[in-house]
Amino acid sequence: MVERIKAELGAALKGIEIREASYRERGYHLFFEVASGGLLQVARFFDERSFYLAAEICVDYGEYLELVYIFSNHASLCKVKVALKIDPAKPVAPTISTVFDCACWYEREIREFFGVTFEGHPNMTYLFLHEGIDYYPLRKGQIPISDEDKRSLGSFRPGEGEDTFSINLGPQHPSTHGVLRVVLKMDGEYIEEADPVLGYLHRMHEKMAENRGYLQFLANTGRMDYLGAMAFNLGYVTAVERLCGIAVPDRANYVRVIATELNRLSSHLMWLGAYLADLGALTPFLFVFDDREQINDILEPVTGSRLTYCYFRFGGLYNDVDDAFVAGTKAFVERMKGRFSLYEKLVTGNVIFINRTRGIGVIEKERARKQAVSGPVLRGTGIAMDMRKTEPCAAYGEMDFDVPVGTRGDALDIYHVRIKEMENAVKIIEQALARLPEGPIMTEKAPKKLKPPKGDVYHTVETPRGELGIYIVSDESDTPYRMKWRVPSFSNLMVFPELAKGNLLADAVAILGSLDLVIPEIDR
Amino acid sequence: MEQIVSMIGWKTAKTIAGLVGVLIFVVFNALILTWAERKVAGHMQRRIGPKEVGPYGLIQPIADALKLLGKEILTPRAVDRPLYFLAPILIFVPVLVSFIVIPFDASLQVKDINVGILVILAFSSLSVLSILMAGWGSNNKYALIGAIRSVAQNIAYEIPLLLALLPVIMMTNSFSLKAIVEAQKGLWFVFYQPLAFCIYFIASVAETNRTPFDLPEAESELVAGYHTEYSGMRFALFFLAEYTNIFIVSAIAVTFFLGGYQGPFLPGIIWFLLKSYLLVFVIMWLRWTFPRVRFDQLLNISWKALIPLAFINLLLTGGLLKL
Repeated sequence: MVERIKAELGAALKGIEIREASYRERGYHLFFEVASGGLLQVARFFDERSFYLAAEICVDYGEYLELVYIFSNHASLCKVKVALKIDPAKPVAPTISTVFDCACWYEREIREFFGVTFEGHPNMTYLFLHEGIDYYPLRKGQIPISDEDKRSLGSFRPGEGEDTFSINLGPQHPSTHGVLRVVLKMDGEYIEEADPVLGYLHRMHEKMAENRGYLQFLANTGRMDYLGAMAFNLGYVTAVERLCGIAVPDRANYVRVIATELNRLSSHLMWLGAYLADLGALTPFLFVFDDREQINDILEPVTGSRLTYCYFRFGGLYNDVDDAFVAGTKAFVERMKGRFSLYEKLVTGNVIFINRTRGIGVIEKERARKQAVSGPVLRGTGIAMDMRKTEPCAAYGEMDFDVPVGTRGDALDIYHVRIKEMENAVKIIEQALARLPEGPIMTEKAPKKLKPPKGDVYHTVETPRGELGIYIVSDESDTPYRMKWRVPSFSNLMVFPELAKGNLLADAVAILGSLDLVIPEIDR
Repeated sequence: MEQIVSMIGWKTAKTIAGLVGVLIFVVFNALILTWAERKVAGHMQRRIGPKEVGPYGLIQPIADALKLLGKEILTPRAVDRPLYFLAPILIFVPVLVSFIVIPFDASLQVKDINVGILVILAFSSLSVLSILMAGWGSNNKYALIGAIRSVAQNIAYEIPLLLALLPVIMMTNSFSLKAIVEAQKGLWFVFYQPLAFCIYFIASVAETNRTPFDLPEAESELVAGYHTEYSGMRFALFFLAEYTNIFIVSAIAVTFFLGGYQGPFLPGIIWFLLKSYLLVFVIMWLRWTFPRVRFDQLLNISWKALIPLAFINLLLTGGLLKL
């Protein structure tokens, strides 16, 4: 695949040198530079070959700003990095949101963080920030935001037409689970337009990363996705290990898998309860908390926390697991197996539940690709893409598990996918426990202060919500030069406005719930 | 005492005493039901429910009521004042009137009106009006949507409700609740009219805005629906009305289908309350086990299933009675 794409790229783009990168170190196979004029052609090239835009990143190198586009695809492992250099004095770039819909939000984000204007972009308004911010936060120098830019950025106003009214779903609303705000333009009970307004929980983790050491930032990762903190931990730790070339002992890898899968279970359980509460059934919430408590009780003595874990370290683990952990996990796995049939009986067969979710929020494969949807939502559409299979980190490569997929891509399918994923998580935990090797949990060669070699890495892991991509640029200092988090909920939320259009308010809640959003992760 | 009675007449005195009794019962019933709801919910959700205040937490509802009474009554600036203030009071009127005609026992009835059931149905449609007043007067979009939903829902479900009661009225040739209970000396009507009972029960759950039909106050969609902007005692009045309504629809079901106060050994009132609270428990059980239906589905259930079925049932009953 990589060879074929390279040849086709070479043929399509005359005069551009396509270079190969070491996938093991960099996380992408090919990279090349493109000029402003050729960008759209490149985007179309990848669109025709069913690639999706995994991430769009901006890096300020001082003399120039670099826009990085990571293209990836669902069928086979082939990642391409495309770089576009732009002038920092007058940062203008062509938009590719006309080709890839998901670029729309990425470009808005870059606009407010770096001040890059995208020509032809339909809606260049604030995504996370507001008029009170005076400087472009992620630029290396202090670049003030001009009043004119502030006005154009702040030009979003919820529209009320004749016969319609707007309603704020959030920021304080029982079913947005956090502080997401969606401005709905309603015609009676029907939604005409849905505009998510983000930033209520924006903490600028990416800027924090530039101001603290690699290890210091580790604690931040769990704060982004508080429900799937372990997977974010894993993603960050493995990304840095990849950048520095640190090897991890086997035992640590196995424990990483067990801990991450336990956390995935607890995250999905939480989703199950919250989703059904959204649909009006309040009892399952308490049932899943019963199970979730047990997971927390298992993880607490080992990791030191119950929610925002910070358990993994570069080169190993913070703490070794003991016999009590192994015994507790084994007992929990046995118990959990019996619980699935209970949930099946209580929820899955309920006719009201089925009627509320079947045919609601249908995501087609094509739309899923254009919007770069990932995780269970993507698998619900029928695309069997799981980073644990395609790019296994830790000991995932040695585990035997299925990637459940749906057929219709509606909320019910996504529900089934998540339930089956929980069953598979149990399966993985069982295998990892059975094969848990003895040995050290920390590599001996891990340096106290990390100074990764110059270069960048785009590393992905599968979190409970989907593809987490971490892009780190290192300049050989002890702090990252730039760190970009491509978070799954952000991409999954992008698909919501289209799904909600024309549906009832109650359906919007059902769709929002099926996407399983974690707001701090979207806002970062 | 005798002087007062002789002055206003025995009948009026009895009615007034009955009304006072009803008021006491309404408050007492709401207290018991809030406690019961929390206990039922607790046990269904693997919890215990209230247990600290009084034995088994029995005093908890009183503590809650005191808390609500002590709360500052907030009035949002942009509300339509007359409507906003009147709505929680008005929602209580139909509730009280309904109690007048319900026979708790052979002799325990405030007033046996010969069109008793019509009185209840006519007044219960009024409660929609106060919900609409609350929703409109609150000047809040969520409240308004909740109120509009409530109107559509109540109109849709009053028809099957009435249609399900009609066969019983045809069988007894009377609108008087007492006469209907007396007619069930032998076999309860639920055995003659199982379908009508089911239709009535579903419709009555919808009438009282309970899950799975709690769309007017659907928490995950409309925050709290029509009473979003109410706090303190005003909110408590809506709450009180809801629980009283639950009891009333159960009491009517018992009167019409489950033999009312009839039963062996125990006094009539005990039987009546036992049966009523059993139905109340079923309604609570539904709430804590089912998700909520969607609005269009809700209307479809009524217009496309319940009403045609109720008509067929009515025709069959009419036909059979003629034979």
